[in-house]
This record gives sequence, structure tokens and C-alpha cells, in this order.
Amino acid sequence: MSALLVAHLAALLLLPIPLVGVVNRTKARWAGRKGPRLLQSGSDLVRLLRKVPVYSRVTTQVFRLGPLVLLATTLVSGMLAPLLGGFVPFSFPYDFVLFAYAWGLGRMAMTLSALDTGSSFEGMGASREATFGALGEPALFLALGTLAGATGRTSFAELLALGPHGPTRALIVAGCVVTLFIVLQLESARVPVDDPTTHLELTMVHEVMILDHAGPELAALQYAAAIKLTIGAALVATLVNPLHAAGPWIFGAANVALTLAVAVAVGTVESLMARFKLKAVPQYVFVAGASAFVALMLTAWWQGGGR
Amino acid sequence: MPLLMASVIALMVGAGLALTLRDNVLRGWASIASQAVATALVLAAVVPYLVHGGELRLAVRWSYPVQGIALHLDALGAFFLAWSLPMTLLGTIYAFGYLRPQFGTRHAGVQFALLDVISLSFVMVYTVESAFAFLLGWEIAAVAAWLLVVWEYRNQKIRFAGFNYLVSTHAGLFFLLAAFMVIHSQVGSMDFQSFERFLRQPSPLRNVTYVLLVTSFGLKSAFFPFHTWLPRAHAAAPAHVSALMSGVIHKAGLFGLLRVTLLIGTPEPWMGWYLIAFSSLSAFIGVLYTSAQRDLKRLLGYSSTENVGIAGIGFGVGYLGLAWNQPVLVALGFTGGILHVLNHALFKCLLFYAAGAVYRATHVVDLERLGGLLRRMPWSGGFFLLGGLAISALPPFNGFVSEFLVYAGLLSSAVPGGIERALLVAVAALLAFVGGVSALSMTRAFGLAFLGAPRDPKVHCDGEVGPSMWAPMALHAAGVALIGVAPAVGLAVVAQPAALFLARAGATPADVGSAARLLSPIAWTSLGILAVFAVLWLVRRALALGTTPEVHVTWGCGYGAPTPRMQYTGASFSAQLADIAFAVVPHLRRERLPEGPFPEGRGRIETACVDAVERRMFEVLNEGDDTIADASRRIPVEPRFSLGAGLVVLIGMIGLLLASAGALR
Repeated sequence: MSALLVAHLAALLLLPIPLVGVVNRTKARWAGRKGPRLLQSGSDLVRLLRKVPVYSRVTTQVFRLGPLVLLATTLVSGMLAPLLGGFVPFSFPYDFVLFAYAWGLGRMAMTLSALDTGSSFEGMGASREATFGALGEPALFLALGTLAGATGRTSFAELLALGPHGPTRALIVAGCVVTLFIVLQLESARVPVDDPTTHLELTMVHEVMILDHAGPELAALQYAAAIKLTIGAALVATLVNPLHAAGPWIFGAANVALTLAVAVAVGTVESLMARFKLKAVPQYVFVAGASAFVALMLTAWWQGGGR
Repeated sequence: MPLLMASVIALMVGAGLALTLRDNVLRGWASIASQAVATALVLAAVVPYLVHGGELRLAVRWSYPVQGIALHLDALGAFFLAWSLPMTLLGTIYAFGYLRPQFGTRHAGVQFALLDVISLSFVMVYTVESAFAFLLGWEIAAVAAWLLVVWEYRNQKIRFAGFNYLVSTHAGLFFLLAAFMVIHSQVGSMDFQSFERFLRQPSPLRNVTYVLLVTSFGLKSAFFPFHTWLPRAHAAAPAHVSALMSGVIHKAGLFGLLRVTLLIGTPEPWMGWYLIAFSSLSAFIGVLYTSAQRDLKRLLGYSSTENVGIAGIGFGVGYLGLAWNQPVLVALGFTGGILHVLNHALFKCLLFYAAGAVYRATHVVDLERLGGLLRRMPWSGGFFLLGGLAISALPPFNGFVSEFLVYAGLLSSAVPGGIERALLVAVAALLAFVGGVSALSMTRAFGLAFLGAPRDPKVHCDGEVGPSMWAPMALHAAGVALIGVAPAVGLAVVAQPAALFLARAGATPADVGSAARLLSPIAWTSLGILAVFAVLWLVRRALALGTTPEVHVTWGCGYGAPTPRMQYTGASFSAQLADIAFAVVPHLRRERLPEGPFPEGRGRIETACVDAVERRMFEVLNEGDDTIADASRRIPVEPRFSLGAGLVVLIGMIGLLLASAGALR
């Protein structure tokens, strides 16, 4: 148990750095470039930590504490999520509700810290982040509620262990995978919702909110974003992982491999399509909700007697 | 009971002194002292029932036509009394500071006396079991609240808001009277205890009565679509009155709902679904309106509609648990719902007090004109942020605790599989959306008012408010934080009221403890968030040792001459959501755009978020008036029209006769 806990902590704290590297490598390969080192984002974080930040004259403590709140909630949410498939350090009934609301707290801390600068651009980013967050939450809850209904269980790891056995279950899992993947793109600000590499303030969501952050605060924000990406990818991986019966270590290793595969998928999507117009993003999120809703109806039909 | 009687006398003496003493300061102290005495007496009376359960019944003889007043104190009434009176006391202390600038010119004793009377009405409504006396208490609360709202009666808008409230609350009273009359016709008594005989048996008439009662209580607690009076009244009233109305006084509607539930015993499933649908709609529409308001107090008013909806969803889950005989659902639904009532009172009063502090310091509640107040008013701003986080149901604060229980009920595996479970999962998703939009609204409200730079150079901030205003805020904030990190405290307060409902469901001790078992990991994780944050903060401090961060202007993306007016506005912050929700939240738009490539003259654009229900209601009233005037002109002169009208009336009468014959059979 304690060995698994160490492995989980390692996955939570260290995996985000190579994971971001995998996404960037994938994008580079699609573009015909060699790409940065796998651990480049780790070096970037260390570099940022050494810097002394510049604060805007308008800002208050909210600006300085926001990134720390975001990082703290993300780390705690990582202790509730099945990064290694079957094992979760803190598992209790309805832990996924707390998980979603911890992310909500982090989001609110970040948007407030953006508004604190009084910059019109950062206000714009905060508005978009808050709106997309509000739209994404019901999709996430529909998917997790569907899984809770389908498994009859109430904790995160048990929900995601539904497994694609039989055509109905496979369809339910597929619907939820689509939802979780879109929520992942939304929450960690990836194409087609948001472009992490764009440098045009008017089109950005996540990146525009952190325009004024520098040094250790920026490091906290970027580290938190990488952890969120990892957790989101791990949720999708756990849902599709078929090796439930193989023991926690094999299951966990397969899950890490699948998480990296999801990162490749994220990078591939990012290479092959352009960012949506902002007006189209809510529709994209509705696709996530609709997909989970279909899965929910399917679950109702399945449990109502149809097979 | 003698303690409660003594508290009534103390309150009446306090009200009398507040009206007759010579100086406003003395009047305030008289009211505060009398309420402190009454609060102590009431707490002494109710705490045993709240801790150990049990009940006390007493009949007082009275002259004709009342004949007798039955008094009944059980855990439910004890629960409502246990926080209503202390919070009114805090509100009175706040009022002392809030009204202070007007002490020289106005007779503030009226406000203080009315606050005493509000406390008095709580003692009546939460303990009396006879319909006559109950309605009297109900009316005292309504009229006193109206008089409190119209404090600034010289302003026509405020008088209108007051009358709007008065009419709405009396429309609610008619529904309540109708329900009581129906029940009286069946049981021949005005005593709630005898109502049970009728309400226990399923019958079409019981269904009608139930709908009447829910409508009345819904009007009192401002459920959608009966909320139209609320944003106006809350924006017009002094801050302490808005706080008490929203957080405390209108919880009487939810009390009524719970009391009726106890009388019904085992409700039918449709009642649960009806309550859930009604409440979900309230939560959904209420929260969408909070996202688009300019007036800080109006925004908080709409959020009351949202939060009673959330409590109502909890009660609905409890109803379904009673109907399906699933004690787990009863425990989660009612515990979550009742706890949310208390939590809402804690953070909503806090938010209104902070908004009142903003008004006292700047004389403005228009979000588009405020900004950067956190540096001038760090305490009020911090309290507002705390309340905002709690009302968005974010951990580690109290709003999350009660919403978590409601989620647990909605997603419970005790719900039968199939369409029922699918529906409740959909409601959970809706609740998640409500939480997300609530976070957006609170981010917007706090961000616009307290962060950034001041938007309007004409608005001057007088700085932090005095101790009689921040002390009540601090106490409310302490409650918000305490229930957040130690949910067991909140559970201990609601355990006995929830046990009344569990007793109806034949619950085992395991069911009774289910809420507590769910919440203990929540408490640990909340503490975990705080601990990780503290560690990160220490690390950050260590990194910053020996360095001095540079201070510079906000990065303007290359633009060299930004002004505070260029900050993101409230309207633009919620524009994207408003675009998606345009069907529910209509925006009036007046614009004169510049024309042509070389426009002459100034263009202008103005948008305002209007209440759809109120707008439609007034439209229908206007057009209905015209239609009836038109018909009454045509009936005497056009034989064909009058024949048609006569036939419609005849069909209506026959229909009514048939319906009543069916009901009698």
C-alpha cells in the first residue's frame, strides 16, 4: 500500500513534466521538427523559480495568492484521482464531487487573480474561463453520474472501472470517454478550445489570464496546468484501461502508458486542427454534454430492463 | 415555554422603548439589549430540544373566535429559532452602525422597533400550531418587513419596490388562506395537529391543497417564478433589512414547507418530483440572473432564489426517499436541505453586510462604477470574498458541505435504476452548472467591486467601516468557516430536525449516521487543501527571502495610455454567458450606432438586464386590461360576440360543476 502511495505521489508530482514533453514532441513530429527535450518544461519551471517577479501597482494579495490556491487545489485533487488506475490515496463516497469543486476553487482563484491586475485583456480571459468552466461542469457531472448509475458505485476509482464489456457498456464507456476528453481539452486549455502557443491576446483564454504573472507565481500556474493535464489524461486512461484484474502494479503501469497515449492524442488533435472560433467553443462543450447524456439515457434503458 | 413567553415580553418592551426613548443611540441600545435578552431566553428554551429532540405541546385558552392557541415546540421549530433570533440581533447591531449617519435627521427608533417585532414574529411563527395565530405571526413578519424596506420612503422607486413586495406577499397569503380553508372544511379545526387527519390520506383534494401550500411558501421564499418582488425589494431596502429578509425572514416559507411535510407523513412520488422540478427551475434561472446584474444588492437578491432552489432540491430528494421508503435518501436530502438553509443564512447575511459596507463607504452599489476597493476596505472585501466562495459552494467553506449532501442524495445508489436515476443525475448536472455560474457571478461581483482600479473618479471611498458593522460580518464569517472545516458542527445542529423526517421513514441508526460518515472525509480533505496551501505559501516566502519584487504598471499589451475606464466591465464579463442564455435572461438594448465610413455625431449603446417574468407579467396585465375593456364594449352591441361569450361562460360553469361533482364523489 505504501509503495503504491509513493508511486502515486511520484506520478502526481513528476509525470506532468514528461507528459507536457510528450505533447510537445508529438506536435513537433507532426510539424516535421525534432522538438524540445522531454523534460524541457521541468527546466523552464526551475528557471522561473529563480526569478524575482514584477508586480503591477494595481494588484493586491489576491494576485499573489491565487496561483498558490490553484496549485494547492490541483495537488489535492490529484490525491483523489486514480492516476494509477485502481489505487487512490484518499477514496471515499462521492469523492468526485469534491474533486470537481476543488478544480472549481482553483479556477475561481485564477480568474480573480487575473481580474486583480485591472487589465482589460486579462478580464476577458477570466470571463471566458469562468464561462467555459460553468459549461464544462455539467458535462463532467453527467459523465460521472452516468458511470455512478451504471456501476452502482460512488467512488472515483470504482466509477471509472466500469470496463467496456458487452456492447451496451462499451457504448456507455465510449460516450463518457468523449465527454472526459473534451473536458480535458477545456480544463487544460488545449486546441481546439484554446491554443497554448498563441501570442494574440484577443484569442486566448488561459494564457491571457497569466500575462502579468512572472517568476514563481508563473511557475505555480504552469505546473498546476501540467498537473491538470495529467489528471485529465489519467481519467480517460483509467476509463479505457482493460487490465482491472491484473493486479495493481500492472494495472498502474498500463495506466501510465495509456496516459501518455492520451497525451499523444492531445498533441495529434492539436497538430491536425485549428482552434475553434470562440463562439463555437460552447457548442463544442455541448457536444461533451450531449455525449454524456446519450450515455446516461443508454444506462437508464440498460438498467430499466433492456440489454 | 415560560422562557419563550418572557422573550416575547422582552421584545415588546424593547420595541416600546425603541419608539419612545428620546435619543436614537438610546433607542438602538434598547433594541439591542432587548434582543440580546430575548435571544438568551429563546436559546435557553430551544437548545434542549435541538440537542436531545423531543417536543412540548401547550394549549392557551383565548377568547372567541380564536378559542384556543396550540403551542408546539419541536426540533424543527427549535432549529429555526436557534439561528433566526441571534442573526436578527446581529442585524440590529449592524443597523446601529449602518443608520448612524442618519441619526441626526431621522427617527431610527422605528427601524429598531420593527427589528424587535421581526424577532417576535419568529417566536410566533415557529412555535404556534393554530392557523389563526400562525397567520397573525406570518402577517406581522410581512408587514414589518415591508415597513423596514420603505425606510427611504421619499424615493418613489423604493415606495414602488415596497408596494410590489406587499402585494406579492399578500398574494402568497391568499394561497395559504385558501389551503387552510380547504383543510378546515375537511377536519373542522384550525389546529395543525388535526390537519394531519386530512393530510395523511391521499386524495385529489390533498393534492390541490399541497399545490396551494407550495405556491404560498414558494412566494414567501421567492422561488421562481414568484420571485419578481425580491430583486426590487432587496435593492431598495437598507443593507441589514436585505440581509435579514433574504437570509432569515423568508426562510419561514421553507419552514412552512417542512412543517407540512411532517404533517403529510408519506408523500406521493409526484410531490417529490414537483418539488425538484420547481426548485431546479428556481436554482437555474436565479443563478443566470445573478450573472447579469449591475446592482450588487439586486445580484445578491437573485442569488436567494437560486439558494432556496438548492435547499428545495434537497427536500425533493427527501420526499422521494419518503415515498420510496429509502431512509438513506431521506437522511441525505433533508439533512442537506436543512443545513443549506442555515448555511445560506450565514453567507447571505455576510454578503449583504459587506455590500452595505460598500454602500456606506462609497454611496454606490453599481458594479460598473466601483473598483479597487480591496485596498481601501480590506476587511469588508475579505468578508465578501469569503461569502462569495461559500455561496459558490467551493470547499473548504460551508456551502460546499450542504451541497455535497444534496449531490450525494441525487447520485445515491439507493435511487431505483432506470429513468428515475437518469433524471436525478440530470438534476445533479444542473446543480453543477448552477455552481459554475454562481462562481462566475461571484468572481464578477468581487472582481469588479474590489479588484483592479477604481472605475469612476467621482466615486469616493470613505475607507473601512466601524466595528458595529464589521463585528456582525466577522461572526457570520466565523460560522461560514467553522461549518466548512468542521462539518460535524453543522450536522450536530441539523441532526434532530432531520431525525423528525427520518422517524417518518422508519430509519435505522445506520441511516441516521450516513450523512456524518460521508462528511468526515470531506472535512479531512478540506483541511488538506488548507495545509497544502500553507506549505506552498511558506515555500513561496522562503523563495522570496532577500529579494524585493519590482513594482510596475499592469502590462497593457503594448498600449501606452490605458485608463481605468478601459478595464473589463461587468456587462462584458457576462456577455458570453448572456448570449448563450438569451432565451432566459433577456437584455434590453438601446443603441444608435455610428453610420457610414465617416460617421458624424456620437453613437451610443445601452444594455440592461430585465426580469423576464416581471416584464411578461406587466405586459399581460396591460393587455388583459385592454382585452377586457374591449370585450365589455362589444358584448352589449354585437349579438354574435355576446352569444359566443355566453357560451364560453356556460361551458366554464358546466365544467366547474362536473369537476366539483367529481371531487365530491
